[in-house]
Amino acid sequence: MSEIASKKTTNTITRHTNWFATLRTLYFRELRVYFSTPFGWVILACTMALLGFCLQAVIQVMSKATGEGVMFYMLNNINFWFFFIFIFPLITMRSFAEEERQGTLEGLLTAPVTTTQIILGKYLASYTFYLILWVPLLLYPWMSHLANKYTEWRYGIIAEGEITYLLADWIGPYAILALCGAFFIATGLLCSAMTRSQIIAGILSTSFMISFYFLGRVTELWGEFPAAPIFHYISCTEHVSSFSRGLLDTRPLVFYLSMAVLTLALVKRVVDYRRWTR
Amino acid sequence: MSMVTTEHLYKEFGRTMAVRDVSFTVERSEIVGFLGPNGAGKTTTMKMLTGYLPPTAGTASIAGHDIIDEPLEARRHMGYMPENVPLYDDMRVYEYLYYRAHLKGLCGKSVRQQVGYVMDRCGLDHKRKSMIHTLSKGYRQRVGLADALLGEPELLILDEPTNGLDPNQIRQIRELIRSLAEEHTVILSTHILSEVEMICNKVIIIDNGEIKAADTPANLTGGLRAAGRVSVEYKGELDCVIKALSEIPSVKKIIYEGTLPGGWQRLIVRAEPGTDTREKTAAVIQRYHYPLRHIYRHIPSLEDVFVEMTRHD
Repeated sequence: MSEIASKKTTNTITRHTNWFATLRTLYFRELRVYFSTPFGWVILACTMALLGFCLQAVIQVMSKATGEGVMFYMLNNINFWFFFIFIFPLITMRSFAEEERQGTLEGLLTAPVTTTQIILGKYLASYTFYLILWVPLLLYPWMSHLANKYTEWRYGIIAEGEITYLLADWIGPYAILALCGAFFIATGLLCSAMTRSQIIAGILSTSFMISFYFLGRVTELWGEFPAAPIFHYISCTEHVSSFSRGLLDTRPLVFYLSMAVLTLALVKRVVDYRRWTR
Repeated sequence: MSMVTTEHLYKEFGRTMAVRDVSFTVERSEIVGFLGPNGAGKTTTMKMLTGYLPPTAGTASIAGHDIIDEPLEARRHMGYMPENVPLYDDMRVYEYLYYRAHLKGLCGKSVRQQVGYVMDRCGLDHKRKSMIHTLSKGYRQRVGLADALLGEPELLILDEPTNGLDPNQIRQIRELIRSLAEEHTVILSTHILSEVEMICNKVIIIDNGEIKAADTPANLTGGLRAAGRVSVEYKGELDCVIKALSEIPSVKKIIYEGTLPGGWQRLIVRAEPGTDTREKTAAVIQRYHYPLRHIYRHIPSLEDVFVEMTRHD
């Protein structure tokens, strides 16, 4: 380095003040964390394996029942809920906490970017990753088709119960997964923004997810009572059940989207608060 | 217009007052050194300038942009290297710099040109494809410095840029900072005093969250109590010499430091700052025909200033 003469650049520097261009930079940086480290791949692989177990259980049910698409049985299976609520803490717990612990948040917050851009970048990246988790599901009909072909060729039996690519069977489940995710990812970010420890963020957000899940099942335990509609309104199990039947409802749409926006607003408060009081 | 102006900055953390009534200005193309013991408030002051920490009271502006009212504009004019240089470990050097360049709003050809320029400047060319987590401390420091340089900010804020480096690396970073001063205003914090003496043309000494002194190194050392001090070693009677020495007009106090092996007496003659009493001291000892083997006028260093300003005894 000592031999470096003071070279002055002659080119003039071009800058933009495009809000979305900065957001895009942050978004891709966050998204690449999931794929440039084992972190995202592990979540993806585990989710796929667990969905496989789920499918195996569902095939048993489907051989007896008829009428609904495979996704209905998948999402209303207790095996599914058993791991579904843990996905969100896993995806989101590192986003703020890790940056804070490593100190890289300082570099981020002292760059010419706004808190809103940082939060949206992280949120959209986590949400995108969450959506990517469900893409492998789309292979199931094709795989079941292959399996049936094989059975036919090998054993000469024409298998029943083909999993189909019927739009009606798929649009509802994906819509509710996307809606739930929008809110739950935001709560995960909120937990992550509140602490510098990933573990604590994970515990907070897992507790929230479990409580929210049980709040939705209150009416199953207590039956109908005057306040029961509130619990029906926030019950994600009921939402998933009705959406995966193909019954698209605007109430959950409004609920999840408004809650997502509200939670993100809270994240902004938390980040700004931490930034402004340390 | 001054590059940095701060007015009565205060910062409280709960009950502790980390920074108290800090006001200073930094002119363009100055290299300013922040000096102070650990926990004196150097880092806090710098973090307030960068907009990472809000001041409890008071205000500051960078290149005329208030850090609270126009934080984005203020940050665009500044490059910041935090203490311990936090970096994304999962990225390669060039990826990280490209990312930071985009984040700082560079676009088009500027990104490539700027990243190339700062890598060249900080000697990172041969490490461009290294993963950041494999870099040594010295190279991490350079990446941090390269990041701060992106977009040619007018002001560089470097928090302990030579912290934890070996002497060779310290010299290299120091050279780099000195060469940067031609185009940038630099504020750096350190507790290595020789470093400040070598590269800074203004020193701000902070202790206990307060500014104790802000001046050029020469002015600071000039007015020091230690400045006029002369030490003498001779062989002979003590009392008569002390008496004669204390009759010299500018002398304030004579301190007897002890008898060295071989019967050499060691005295410290404390005089008014800025005076030179060597000649007169020597003359006194000549008068008695005592052998004189050592006479030395203390040249005060920043270390003396630092000790005098931040001593708590």
